[in-house]
Amino acid sequence: MTNNWMRRQRLLGYLFIGPSMLGVLLFFLIPAAYSFGLMFTNYKFMSPNVEFVGLDNIIRLLKDEMFYLSLKNTFYFLLAVPVSIVLGFLAAVVLNQKIYLKKLLRGLYFMPYITSGVAVAFVWMLLFHPTQGPINGLLRSIGIDDPPGWLSTTTSSMVAIDIIWIWFMLGYNMIIYLAALQEVSPELLEAAKMDGARPGQILRKIIWPLVSPTTFLLLITGLIMTIKTFGIIQAVTQGGPGNSTTILSLYVYQNAFRYYDMGYASTISWALFILILLITLAQWVGQKRWVHY
Amino acid sequence: MRKKGWFTGMASLILVMGVLAGCSGGGNNGSNGDGSNAGSEASPSAGAPAASGDPVKLTMWGGVPPEAGPQAVVDAWNKEHPDIQVEYVRYVNDDEGNLKLDTAMMTGQDVDLFVNYTSSQATKRVEAGLALDLGTFGDYNIDEKMGPDAKGWQINGKYYGLPTTKSAYFVALNKDALDAAGLPVPKDWTWDELREYAKQLKAGGGYGFIQNLEPFVDPIDSVLTKDGYTKADGTSNLDHPLVKKWLETLNAMMEEDKSTPPLGEQLTSKMPVEQEFLSGKVPMLNIGAWLLRSSNNFTDFPRDFKIAFAPVPRLTDNADEYVARGGIGDYISINAKSKNQAAAWEFLKWYADGGMAPMAAGGRLPASKDADQDAALNSLLGDKADTYDKESMMYVLFDNRTPTFVRSLDQEVVDLRSQEYEKYFLGAQSVDETLAAMVARHNEYLKQTK
Repeated sequence: MTNNWMRRQRLLGYLFIGPSMLGVLLFFLIPAAYSFGLMFTNYKFMSPNVEFVGLDNIIRLLKDEMFYLSLKNTFYFLLAVPVSIVLGFLAAVVLNQKIYLKKLLRGLYFMPYITSGVAVAFVWMLLFHPTQGPINGLLRSIGIDDPPGWLSTTTSSMVAIDIIWIWFMLGYNMIIYLAALQEVSPELLEAAKMDGARPGQILRKIIWPLVSPTTFLLLITGLIMTIKTFGIIQAVTQGGPGNSTTILSLYVYQNAFRYYDMGYASTISWALFILILLITLAQWVGQKRWVHY
Repeated sequence: MRKKGWFTGMASLILVMGVLAGCSGGGNNGSNGDGSNAGSEASPSAGAPAASGDPVKLTMWGGVPPEAGPQAVVDAWNKEHPDIQVEYVRYVNDDEGNLKLDTAMMTGQDVDLFVNYTSSQATKRVEAGLALDLGTFGDYNIDEKMGPDAKGWQINGKYYGLPTTKSAYFVALNKDALDAAGLPVPKDWTWDELREYAKQLKAGGGYGFIQNLEPFVDPIDSVLTKDGYTKADGTSNLDHPLVKKWLETLNAMMEEDKSTPPLGEQLTSKMPVEQEFLSGKVPMLNIGAWLLRSSNNFTDFPRDFKIAFAPVPRLTDNADEYVARGGIGDYISINAKSKNQAAAWEFLKWYADGGMAPMAAGGRLPASKDADQDAALNSLLGDKADTYDKESMMYVLFDNRTPTFVRSLDQEVVDLRSQEYEKYFLGAQSVDETLAAMVARHNEYLKQTK
C-alpha cells in the first residue's frame, strides 16, 4: 500500500512538472544542443552545403580581432551594473526616509524599467545629440566649451551607452533595495545612533552589510541580464560608430542574422555562455567574503 | 487502482502534447493569415487556373510600401484577371525584413514572387535553390527587353529574376540656389568640382552638400568594380589610390570646409537628409530615384524651389574610366518551390512591360523597352512637373550613357569597410591606418571564405 502510494505520488510529481519540462526541452535544451553541434560545421542559413569543419570555428574565434574587441566592449558595458547598484542603493536609502513626494519619486525612478526599449533609445539619441541636444546645451551653458560627442565619437560612445543602461537599471535596483531596507531592524540603527555613529558610518557599516544578500542578488542577475542585452545597442548605435559599441551579444546577432553565418554565431554564443558561467562562478566563490546572511 | 492512475497520467500527457502541437500548428497558419489556406486549396489547379473555377492565388513580397505603388499595380491586375489574384506583402528591406522573407521561403510558406534589391541577396537565394531560372520559360528575351544593363544581374550566366526598374542615382540640386550662385548644372563632374560647389553653396552656418547613407560609399564601389576588389595576386585592393582620395576629399569637406555634415553627427542624429534638402536648408543631396517619393509629396515636404539633377561625380580624372551605380534594379524572382509558377510568370511579364507604371510615383520607372515611358513619366511627375528641371532630369534618367554597375559585394566586406572608414571620419585613426585595417580585415575575410 505504502509502496503503491509512493509510486502514485512520484507519478503525480512528474505529471506536474511535465508541461514545463517539455517547454524547457523543446525551446531550450534541444536548441542549445543543436547550436553546440553547429559550432563544428560551416552551416550558413539558406546555404545547401553543410560541412563538418572540426575546430575551425574555434580557431577562427581565437584569432578574430573583432571577437576580442567585442569582449572588451562587453566589459565596458558591464561596468554599468555596479554603478547602477550603488546609485540604486543610495536612491532607496533617500526614498526610505520621510521626505515629500516619496511615492511619486519612487514611481518616476521605476518608469524607465517599464518603458519600451526602443522609445528609450530614441529619446536618449535626441538628448545626446552633439550640437543640438539638451545635454550638451546644458554643458555649454555652464561653461564647458568642448562637451563630449557622446554617441558620435568612437571614444565616448560606450560611456553614453553605459549612462543609458545605468538609468534604465536604476529603478529596478532601487525597488529591490527598498524592500530589503524594510527588513533592517530599527533597533540596530537606534543602537548605533546611541553609540554615536555618524549617518555615513551607519550607512556603510550597518545598512550596507545588512543588505549585502540583496546586493549579491542584484549583481548576479544584473550582470547576466546586461551581458545578454543587445536590443538597446541595436536600436541606438547598431554597434557603431566604427565598431566601438559592438558587444558580444550584438556580434552574435550580426553573424547569425546579418551574415547568416550560423556555425560561427553558435561558436561566439558558446563563448558568451562560458563567460557568463565564469563570472557567476567567480561571484559564488567571492561572495563568502562580503555577503552576510 | 494502479492501472487507472497510469491511464489518467498517459491520457493527460497525450492531451498536453496535443495542445502543444495544436498551438504550433495554429501559429504557422496564423502568421500566414488566410493566404495559406486559400493557397493550398488552389494548388491542385496550378497551371490551369480556370479549370476548377477557383482562382489561383499569388503572393508577392516586396520592399516598397503598398501605398507607394504596389497596391495600385496589384489592384489593376486583379480587376483584369479574376482567375489569378495577386496579394502584395510588404517586407522592410533591412536585416530583419530579409530574414523574414528568407525564413518564410525556407519553411515553405506561400511566397510566389519576391523582389531582391541587391545582387548579393539574390545570389544567396539562388544558391539555396529558391529562385527559378527564368530562361526555362523561353518566351521573353530579357537582354533584348531590358538592354545591356541587365547583364549585371546574371548569376552564373543565367537570369534567376527579372530586373524591372531603371534605378537612377544622382545628386539632386536646388536649382534656385545654383542660379543665385551663378553655377551651371553639371553633366559630368569630379569630386573636386563638387567640393568647390559645396564650398560656394554653403550659406551661413549651413552645409552645401549632404548624402543619403545608402549611396554614400558608391564612389569606392565604382572604382573597385572597374579595377577589381582584389589585386592580381588575390589580395585585397581596398587600398586603391582612389579609395584614399575619396576618404581624404570627404574628410576635408567635413573638417576643413565644413561644407558637409561630419559623419558622426549624421549617424547619431539619424539625419533626415530628404527633409534637409527639400526644406531648402542644404542645396545638394546625393541620393537615388526614391527621392521623388518625398519630393512629390508637398504635404509633408513643402518646397518653393526647382530641383535639378546631376550625375554622381567621379573620383577618376578620366571620364572614360568611370562607371556609375545604377542601371536597372528591383530584381523580381519566382520562388522555385511555388506551385503556381506559370501564373506567376504571366503576372511578372505583365508587370515588367508596363503593369508597374503606378510604381513610378515612387521613383521607379520601368526598364523594359516595351513599357510606355511617357505614361510612367507622367505618373512620376504627377502635377508637380514644373517643379523639376526637365532637361537635367531627362539627362540623368534616360540620356546619360555612362556604363553602370550593380553593387555585388558581400555584406561582411561592406560592413568591415564602413566600420573602418567611420573610425577615420570620426578622427579615431589616420587615413593610412584606415586603409591598412581595411586591407588586413578584407584579406582575413578572403582567406576565411576561400
